[in-house]
Amino acid sequence: MDIYIRRRIANGVVMTLSVAATAFGLLWLVLVLWTLMENGVAAITPALFSQMTPPPGSAGGLLNAIFGSVVMTLIATLIGTPTGILAGTFLAEYSRGSRFGEVVRFINDILLSAPSIIVGLFVYELLVVHMGHFSAWAGAVALAIIVIPVVVRTTEDMLNLVPNALREAAAALGSPKWKVIVMVSYRAAIQGMVTGVMLAVARIAGETAPLLFTALNNQFWSTDLNSPMANLPVVIFQFAMSPYADWQVLAWGGALLITLTVLFLNIGARMLATWSTFKQ
Amino acid sequence: MSPTRAAARLAMPLVPSDPDVADPATMPRQKAMIRNVDFFYDRFQALKNINLPLHDKRVTAFIGPSGCGKSTLLRILNRIYELYPGQRATGEVLVDGENILAPGVDLNLLRARIGMVFQKPTPFPMSIYDNIAFGIRLYERLPHSELDDRVESALRRAALWDEVRDKLRQSGLSLSGGQQQRLCIARAVAVQPEILLLDEPASALDPLSTQRIEELIAELKADYCIAIVTHNMQQAARSSDYTAFMYIGELIEFDETERIFTHPKEKHTEDYITGRFG
Amino acid sequence: MTEKFGALAPIYGTLVSSAIAMLVGIPVAFGVAVFITEICPLWLKRPLATMIELLAAIPSIIYGIWGLFVFAPFVQQYIQPAIIDTLGQVPGIGALFAGPPLGIGVLTAGFILAVMVLPFISSIMRDVFETVPAILKESAYGLGATRSEVVRQIVLPYTRAGVVGGIMLGLGRALGETMAVTFVIGNAHRISASILQPGTTISASLANEFTEAFGDLYRSSLIALGFILFIITFVVLAIAKLMLLRLQKQAGG
Repeated sequence: MDIYIRRRIANGVVMTLSVAATAFGLLWLVLVLWTLMENGVAAITPALFSQMTPPPGSAGGLLNAIFGSVVMTLIATLIGTPTGILAGTFLAEYSRGSRFGEVVRFINDILLSAPSIIVGLFVYELLVVHMGHFSAWAGAVALAIIVIPVVVRTTEDMLNLVPNALREAAAALGSPKWKVIVMVSYRAAIQGMVTGVMLAVARIAGETAPLLFTALNNQFWSTDLNSPMANLPVVIFQFAMSPYADWQVLAWGGALLITLTVLFLNIGARMLATWSTFKQ
Repeated sequence: MSPTRAAARLAMPLVPSDPDVADPATMPRQKAMIRNVDFFYDRFQALKNINLPLHDKRVTAFIGPSGCGKSTLLRILNRIYELYPGQRATGEVLVDGENILAPGVDLNLLRARIGMVFQKPTPFPMSIYDNIAFGIRLYERLPHSELDDRVESALRRAALWDEVRDKLRQSGLSLSGGQQQRLCIARAVAVQPEILLLDEPASALDPLSTQRIEELIAELKADYCIAIVTHNMQQAARSSDYTAFMYIGELIEFDETERIFTHPKEKHTEDYITGRFG
Repeated sequence: MTEKFGALAPIYGTLVSSAIAMLVGIPVAFGVAVFITEICPLWLKRPLATMIELLAAIPSIIYGIWGLFVFAPFVQQYIQPAIIDTLGQVPGIGALFAGPPLGIGVLTAGFILAVMVLPFISSIMRDVFETVPAILKESAYGLGATRSEVVRQIVLPYTRAGVVGGIMLGLGRALGETMAVTFVIGNAHRISASILQPGTTISASLANEFTEAFGDLYRSSLIALGFILFIITFVVLAIAKLMLLRLQKQAGG
C-alpha cells in the first residue's frame, strides 16, 4: 500500500496548495481594498469635490482633476464606442471566414493587451508634436485608442451569439442586410454590447500612462480642450510621489474615487450580463 | 469465432448466448447485489427501489427506452456520479458481501476493482503504450519488462495487440474509432478489475467494429462479471446471460436473457421487446 | 545629467521584474484555476471567479500607491531582512539577495506584478480547463486516479497550448506594466546583481523621465526604448494569440 499512501499524500498536497493559492489571491484583493478605504476615507470631504488642486502646503480638493477625467473619459467613449461597434460589426457580420477579418481580429487582440504607455507615446508623436503642445484632445484620443479594442471584442462576441435563425428570419422577410443588423442583431445583442462599453470605461477610468504624455496635467481649473487638462490619475501620480503629507492624503482620496468607480462599473457590468442571460 | 458462426448469430437475434462459454454445470455465483437503491439528481428521483443481482463470469444487460435510468444505474456501481455535487444514491450495493455505497469506502481503490468503458472512445492524449500503462502505473511499481508484459497481455485480451504491436509509441488518437474503443477496454482490463461496466460501448461504432466488440465481450466474460447498458435489443439478446428491463427509473423485469426475450412475464417488457414502443 | 542613454538597465529591469512576476504568478494562477474548476462547490464558483477578476480590474496606479505606502515598508521591515539573513548568506546565490533593505526594488516590483498578472493567467487557464470533455476525465477517475493525477496527467496535457497561451498573455502584460512598477522600483538607472536593489524598467523610465527629458537626443532615445518595448510585447502577445488559436482548433475539431 506504500504507493497508494504516497498518491493520497500527493493528492492532498496539490489540493491544499490550490486552496492556499486561491486564499493568497483573495488576500491581496482584500488588503489593497482595505488600505485604500482606510487611507482614502479621510480625504472624502465636501472640499474634495469643490476645490482645486492646491500647491503644496495648503488645503484643497480635486475638482479640476475630477472634471478633467470625466470630460476626457466621456470624449474617449464617444469617439471609441461607435468606432469599436462598427469594427466589431464588420468582423461579426461581414467577414466570416475571410483572411482579412482574421488579421484584423488578430491585431485587435494584440492591441487589447498592449502596454498603455506605448499608446501614450504614439499619440504624443502623432498629436502633441504636431500641435506643438499638450492638450485634453490628445488625452482623449489616447484613451479612445484603448477603448476601441475592448468594444470591438465584446461587440463581435455578442453579435456572434445571436442565433443565425434570427437573421435568416429577417432576411426571409426581404429585409436588407444593414437593417437586419441594426433592427435584429443589435437589438438581440444590446445588453452585451452595453456591458462591453461599461467595461471599457472602467478600463480607461484608471489609466495613467497614456495621459502622461498627452494631457499632462494642469494645476488650475480649465475647460480648454486645447491645453493641458488636470486629471485624477496623473494628479495622484504627482501627489503620491511627493513628500507632502496633505498632497498624499488627496492622492489617497483620488485613488479611492477611481477604485469605487471602477468596481461599480465592473460589478454593474457583470450583473447586467447575468441578468440578461437570466431573462433569456 | 469463425465468420460463419458470427454471421449466423447476427441472423438469429433471439437465440440465447453461446452456451460453450458459459458453463451451465456451474451455478453462477452472485458477484454483486443491488439492494433497494434510489438515485436522485438534486430533487428529481431517477431510480426507484432497484433490486437485482450481478452474476460473476456472466454478462448482465440493462435495457430500456431513453431516460429509463439504465446508465444511471450502471454509474452507481463505480460511484462515478460522486464527481458531481447534487447527485446521490441511497440503498446498498453489495460486492462480495461488502456495501460499496457505505461512506467509508475508498473511491479510488473501488474504481480500480470496477472498471468502466464509455459510450464514446476516450483515449488519453498520450501514446498507446502509456494509455494502457496509465492505470497500472497508478498502483504498481513494475520493472520495465514486467510493465511491457502487462501492456501486451491487456492489448491481447482486447484483441488489439496484433494491430498495434508495431506502433505502441504512437498517439492513442491515431487509431480508428473501433480500435480506440478496444484500447479503452484494454486500458480498463489492464488494472485487473473484478467487474467491468460497459456503457453502450458500441453505440458510436460502425457495424463491423460493433461485431468485434461483441465477440470481445463474449471472451472477456470468462474472467469478469460484466454489466452492459445497451439500447440495442438484439445486442442484448446476442451477448448477455441476464437482462434487466427498466422503464422510467424502475426495474420492470429481471430474468435470464433467453426467458425475457421468448417468454417475458410483464406486458410492458413484451411491448418493448416487440417494438411497440421505445 | 550625463549624456549616457544606455538602454541596458531598463531592459534588464523589465526582464527581471517580469521573470519574478512569472515565477510567483504562474503557480498561484494555476492553483486558483484548479481550485475553481475542480474543487470549488458550485455556488461559490461565480462569486469567486468574479473576485479574482476584480484583481485585474483594479487600476495600475492603485497598486502603485498601495505598493509604495503599504507594501514596500512592510517588505522593508520584515521580508527583506529575513531574506538577507537567510538566502543572502548562502555562498554563490547570496549575491542575488544582498544589500540594505530598502523596501522598494526589483523584487517588490516583481511581486506586485505577479498579483496584477495572475488573474489574467488564471482566467485563461480556467477557460481551457473547462474545455476538457467530462467523459475523458471520467475515464481517468474510472481507473481510480486521484484528482491531482487527473489534473496533472490528463487535463494539463490536453490544454497545453492554451496554458502556454495564457502564460504568454500574462507575460505580455507584465512587460508593459507601467504605473505600479514606477512607484516601487526606485528608478535607479543601474543594473545590480541583487534583486533587493532598486532598478528601472522601460516603462518606468518612460513614465518618470519623458516629460523631464530635455534635448532631442534624450527624447529620441526614450522613444527608441519605447519602440523596443513595443516590439517585445508585440512578439509575446502574438505568440500567445497563436497558441490560443491552436487550442481553439483542437477543441473544435
